[in-house]
Amino acid sequence: MLKFQRTKLVNIINNNDGTLAVHGTLDDHIYQIEIDMVIGIDDHAIRAIDGKWIRAENSECRRAIPFLKNAIGIKIDSDDFTQHVNKHVGRKACPHFANLIIECSNAAEDAVDMLKFEAAGKDQPELTFEEYLAGNAPVVPKDKPEARVSVQPDRPEKQATKEKKILVGLNGFCVDLHIHTFPASQCSSSSVDEMLQEAGRIGLDAVCITDHNYVWKTADIHTLSEKHGILVFNGNEITTDQGDMLVFGMHKDVQGIIKLKELKQLVDDANGFIIAAHPFRGFLIFNTNEIGLTVEKAMQRPALKQVNALEILNGKVTERENVFAGKVAAGLGMPATGGSDAHDVAGVGKYATCFDVKIGNEEELVEALKSGNYTPCKFRDNIATKAQVAKNGILEI
Amino acid sequence: MANLLCYSRNRAASVEQIDETTLAATCRLQDSLTDAEVTLRIRLPELEIIDAKGTFTRFSRDECSGIERALEKVVGVRIGAGMKKIIRGLVGEITDCNEVAGLVEECCHAVILAFTKDMLGLVPEELAKEKEFFAKMVKENIRLYNSCAAFAPGSPIVEGIDPP
Repeated sequence: MLKFQRTKLVNIINNNDGTLAVHGTLDDHIYQIEIDMVIGIDDHAIRAIDGKWIRAENSECRRAIPFLKNAIGIKIDSDDFTQHVNKHVGRKACPHFANLIIECSNAAEDAVDMLKFEAAGKDQPELTFEEYLAGNAPVVPKDKPEARVSVQPDRPEKQATKEKKILVGLNGFCVDLHIHTFPASQCSSSSVDEMLQEAGRIGLDAVCITDHNYVWKTADIHTLSEKHGILVFNGNEITTDQGDMLVFGMHKDVQGIIKLKELKQLVDDANGFIIAAHPFRGFLIFNTNEIGLTVEKAMQRPALKQVNALEILNGKVTERENVFAGKVAAGLGMPATGGSDAHDVAGVGKYATCFDVKIGNEEELVEALKSGNYTPCKFRDNIATKAQVAKNGILEI
Repeated sequence: MANLLCYSRNRAASVEQIDETTLAATCRLQDSLTDAEVTLRIRLPELEIIDAKGTFTRFSRDECSGIERALEKVVGVRIGAGMKKIIRGLVGEITDCNEVAGLVEECCHAVILAFTKDMLGLVPEELAKEKEFFAKMVKENIRLYNSCAAFAPGSPIVEGIDPP
């Protein structure tokens, strides 16, 4: 018996006015939607869109319809088309409408190719469709040029007032081991300067910049440390076939997807350290335990033998997912870390890792990580301001 | 004048439970240019892809012939966070045929929706209780907050829930 089935249908008509009329339907066990789009043949732009729900998961799904117009103007052949639709339609309206828009647009691209081939065939009757496609293949650069971030050494004009760090129940040298900065990580919305200013403001002892598949220059890391008056360490979040890994002490620029065992070899050769980032991040509507993944079964995951520690406090997963990761780490006797995974200023320091030694540089960080003498902790919520101390009489440490 | 279609596409994805620990997810694509199918076998509860087979029987781009090596690359990948990037990256190492990754992704997405369907089967019929059900879901997984219009500020479902 089928557990689930989804069907998508796309039909396209040439309006003979330079546009295509595209009709799409998505029908599955949960959702049933339809869209109609008008797409320009020459400019590849979505000129108009309309959509409707026939079956939805809840009564508020209808709110998505007005936001479908966010797709208007997007060019279906642009490099970032899918990202753009997922961001401006998927998140604002509905990811299932975004899915159908992408399907319809991919079909429309094929349709445009076929129509242009027909037109070309009038002058070149011997031309085959395969030859036409090969001759008109877009030049897609295999490697995207690296978006190197330029670091300005000048101190910012206005320094944020440093809140006096008053730890309530936290001891040790506290480091946010996991933050992302824009533009090195395209998914972040705050610059490295903004993130580090905030890290200093809330009183973190140090912070690790772990941008996605991006290696910061050592000189830039030192400049940032001096500029912001906070220790900054170089890290990297690398995507492997077994998920994302935080890497410290290994500075090879890894692009694309690498097998975890190959990454482990590189890190071991560099005497570095690998932490499995958010290892049990689940799904939006259901959790891993709802599909029968127990702590005991999770402990058997072969990938866990290839990493040095598990991130059990991550600011972007649910409490349940963090607790689950904590139980797995405890069951395996593995070291456990905390990091905010902050993608904006407000997230910096949500979680951190508190070491029992002061750390002065990256080598000492790796040594401290290997020692296992640290505790993941909730940091940001544990910082009291001077005003709160005055009000609540919390002792200053 | 007859209003004929200049292009048509039909894509179907399905998920079948083969046994207690195995799912089979298949995606078939038939359109004016392409006829292709990919089937994944997935082990529960890890959601690990343990087998991937597929074929293109009709295609207009040479790079879409012989996709077996590309499909082998996704064996061992777990369906979960970041899977699209991993699948595209691994498949892209072997072939420029974008549709291969698309078919694999559709299979994986269908598996996620199969479990989503099981959860949504618990939604109460009464409107007030439906709102409570989804509000509790958003509180327990704050990633849902503002993930779509139904869970965006202004929706009754997220009334009283602090943004992350």
